[in-house]
Amino acid sequence: MDVVFGAFPFMIDNVGLLLTKTGDHLVISLIPLLAAIVVGVPIGIWLGHAHRGEFLAVSVTNIGRALPSLALIAILIGFVGIGMLNAMIALFLLAFPPILSYAFQAVNSIDRDLTRAARGMGMSHGQVLLKVELPLGLPMIIAGIRTSAVLTVSSATIATIAGSGGLGDVILNQVAYGMEGVVAGAIWVAVLAILVDQAFALLLRVSAPAGVKRLQSTSVA
Amino acid sequence: MTQHSTGTSITFDRATKTYPGAAAPALDALDLEVEAGELVCLVGPSGGGKTTALQLVNRLVDLTSGDIRIGDRSITDQSAIELRRTIGYAIQQSGLFPHYTVADNIATVPVILGWNKERIRARTAELLELVGLSPVETWLPRYPAQLSGGQQQRVGIARALAADPPVMLMDEPFGALDPITRVAVQDEFLAIHRAVAKTTLFVTHDIDEAIKMADRIAILKPGGKLAQFGTPAEVLSNPADDFVAEFLGAERGLKRLALTTVGEIVTGSSDRVGAGAETAGWPDVEATMTLREALSVVSAAQAEGAIVHAGGSRLGEVSLHDLIAPPTAGEDREGVRA
Amino acid sequence: MSDFAPAGDPVIPDYGQASDCVINNGAFCTDWFISQWSTVFWPPLISHIVMVAIAVSIGFVIAFCAGLLAYRKKWLAGPIGIAATFLYTLPPLALFQLLVPFTGLSLLTVEIALVCFTLVIIFQAVLVGLSGVPDDVRRAATGMGLDRNQLLFKVELPLALPSIVSGVRIATVLTVSIATIAAFVVDDGLGSPIIKAVSSPFNTQFIGAGALAVLLAFALDGLLVLLGRVLTPWTKARS
Repeated sequence: MDVVFGAFPFMIDNVGLLLTKTGDHLVISLIPLLAAIVVGVPIGIWLGHAHRGEFLAVSVTNIGRALPSLALIAILIGFVGIGMLNAMIALFLLAFPPILSYAFQAVNSIDRDLTRAARGMGMSHGQVLLKVELPLGLPMIIAGIRTSAVLTVSSATIATIAGSGGLGDVILNQVAYGMEGVVAGAIWVAVLAILVDQAFALLLRVSAPAGVKRLQSTSVA
Repeated sequence: MTQHSTGTSITFDRATKTYPGAAAPALDALDLEVEAGELVCLVGPSGGGKTTALQLVNRLVDLTSGDIRIGDRSITDQSAIELRRTIGYAIQQSGLFPHYTVADNIATVPVILGWNKERIRARTAELLELVGLSPVETWLPRYPAQLSGGQQQRVGIARALAADPPVMLMDEPFGALDPITRVAVQDEFLAIHRAVAKTTLFVTHDIDEAIKMADRIAILKPGGKLAQFGTPAEVLSNPADDFVAEFLGAERGLKRLALTTVGEIVTGSSDRVGAGAETAGWPDVEATMTLREALSVVSAAQAEGAIVHAGGSRLGEVSLHDLIAPPTAGEDREGVRA
Repeated sequence: MSDFAPAGDPVIPDYGQASDCVINNGAFCTDWFISQWSTVFWPPLISHIVMVAIAVSIGFVIAFCAGLLAYRKKWLAGPIGIAATFLYTLPPLALFQLLVPFTGLSLLTVEIALVCFTLVIIFQAVLVGLSGVPDDVRRAATGMGLDRNQLLFKVELPLALPSIVSGVRIATVLTVSIATIAAFVVDDGLGSPIIKAVSSPFNTQFIGAGALAVLLAFALDGLLVLLGRVLTPWTKARS
C-alpha cells in the first residue's frame, strides 16, 4: 500500500519525466492511429457503400482481435528491428481492424430503403454517400476510431520493448524508477487511456445528427 | 350442434380501465356476458378498448374498477399467474417459442401444471389432429421457423387449448396472415369451435371476420363504451346508432347476405320460381355458397337467378329477388352448410 | 519483474548442433521449432490455456450474474456498464502493475486483471441477448401463465444464448491476446518465450509463440462456435 502512496510523491518529483514520456506515448499512438484512419475509413466506407466485402471485414476484425500486440511487436523486431518505426508499424496493424470494420458496418447497415429513396430522387453515388450515408454513419465511424484509439494507447505501452519510448519505459523499468515509479507510470497511462476514451465519447455525442437516435451503444467490442 | 352447454361464462361487470395519466378511460364500465360455449367477437376501431378488454380478463392489465368473473369466480380471487394457466391465450404473431419444437410449445402449460409425459404426448397428438396438422409425427419435431404463418397460428391455437382451459382469449390471431391463409384458418377454427365449444372472446378489427366467426358481436366505440351487443344478424339488421351503422359500413346490407347459404333457401325459392320458368343463361352456384357470393355470381352473369347444385346433383333454383330479400334470412344458421 | 529479458540467458540455444537456419536467425526454423516443442512451446501453451480458461470462467460467472441483475433492476445497467467499461479501457500492462503492489508478482494478479477485461463484453452480451427476446414471445409466455423465473429460465435465457455465446467468444479471443502480456508479471503463458527471445532477437521463438497464440485464439473460438451450435439446435432449423 505504501508503494501506491509513494507513487504520488514520485509523480510530483518527476513531472517533467512523466510529461515527456506521455508526449512520446501520444506521438507513437497518434501517428499510427491517424494513418489507420486515413487508410481504413475510406476503404470501410467504400466497401460499406457497395455492400461488399462483409466477409473480409469480419475476418480482419477477428484476426485483429486474436493478434497479441506483444507477438506482433516481437515479430516486427525480427524483420524491422528496434525503434520507433517498428512500434508504429505494429500499432498501425493493430489500430486498423476496428476502424475498418466499424466504418464498414456504419455504412453497410444503413437502411437500404433510405439509400434507395435517395438514388430514386436522382442523387449520384457520391451525393448519397455525402448527404445520407456519412451523416448517418458518422457516430459508428467515430465509435470505431474510439475503440482503436484506446487500443493503440494501450498497446503503445508494450511498444517500449521495441525501444519506441513512451510511458512503457517507466512501467517496465522498476530498476530505474522503483515500484513507486512503476505505479505512477501505470496510473498515468491509465488516466491517459480514460481521457482519450472520454474525449471520443464526447465527440460521439456531438456527432450524432440531430433527430437521429441511431447508435447509442457503448459497445466496446 | 353449437350447444352452449360446455365451458364457462365470462362476465364483465362494469369493468373499467383508465391508464395512468390518461384523461378518459380506455374501457368504460363494460357490462357484457359471454355465455358458456359461445364465441363472442369484440370489434371496434383502434382506441375502442377491445384489446384492453381482452387483456383485463387474463390480468395482463389490471382493472381500475368493476369486476370480471370467469364462471362465478372473480379474476381477482386467485393470483394472476394461476389464473392465466386456466385461460387459453392466442395472439397475432402466435408468439411461439422459437427455441421449442412444436411438441414442446404445445406442452408448455401442461408441463408447468405437472401432467405426466404420457398424458402430454396423447394430448399433443390429439390437438395437432384437431388443428389439421397431420400426420402428427411430421409436425412434432419441427421448429417454428420451419412453419408457414398459417401453420404457426394453428400451433398457437393448439398450444392455447393444451391444458383444456374453460375459456379462450384470442387477440387478432389471424391478423398477420395473408387473405387466403386467413380464410382457411378461420374455417378451421370455426370447425374446432364447433367440436370443442369453448367459451371464446375473440378480438378483431375486421368486421367481416367478426360476422363470419361470431355467435354474437360486441361493438366498442372510442372511449371504451359498448355500442351494441347482439348476433351478427341483429347487428346488421338493426344497428343501434350512427356509429355502429358507419362502422358496419355502407355494404351492411350485403354483409347480412353473407350469413345465409343458398342451400338454406333453395327449396322455398324453387317453388316460387316455378316449374316452367325461363332459366336459360342462369349461372350455376353451389348450395354451400353464401347469398352474397351467389349474388355476385348472378350479377356477373347478368341473369335473373341461379341454378343450385350440391355434390353434383341439381337441387333447384333461386331467383335474384330471393337472393336479395331472402325469406328466412338470419334466423338460424343451421342447415345445409357442409 | 523489472526487465523484460531475463539477464544472462543466451536465448539462441546452442544444443551442440545449431542448424544454419538458427545460426543465421532465419525467419522461422521449422526444425528448431519441432525439436524444441516440448520444452520451449508446449508448457507455456498449456499454462496459457489454463490462464485463459480460469479468467473467462470467472469473468463469465461475474458478468452473467451482473447481467441478470441489471436485467431485473434496469437502473443498475448504466452504473455497471460504466464500471466495466472503465476496467476494459485500462491498458493491460498498467492494470497488472497497479495490482502488483497488492497481490504481488503472482498468477492471482494476472487472473484478476484478465477477468476485468472480460467483464464488459460478456455483461453487454447478456443484456443485449435478454433484451432481444421478441415482444410477442414474451407476451405469449406471460399470458400463458409463466411466472417470472419460468419466463427467465425457459424462454429468455435460452433465446439469449446466441448473443451470450458470441460475447464469450469475443472475450476468449481477447483474453488469449492479453494473456501474452501476463509474461511481464509471471513467467508463464505464451508471452514468456516471446519476451525471452526479444532481446537477442531470436525469430523462431517469438514467431512460433506468437503464431501459437493466434492459432489458440482461433481454436478456442471454433470450439465455442461448436458449443454454441450444440446449445442452440433451433438456430440450425430452416424451412
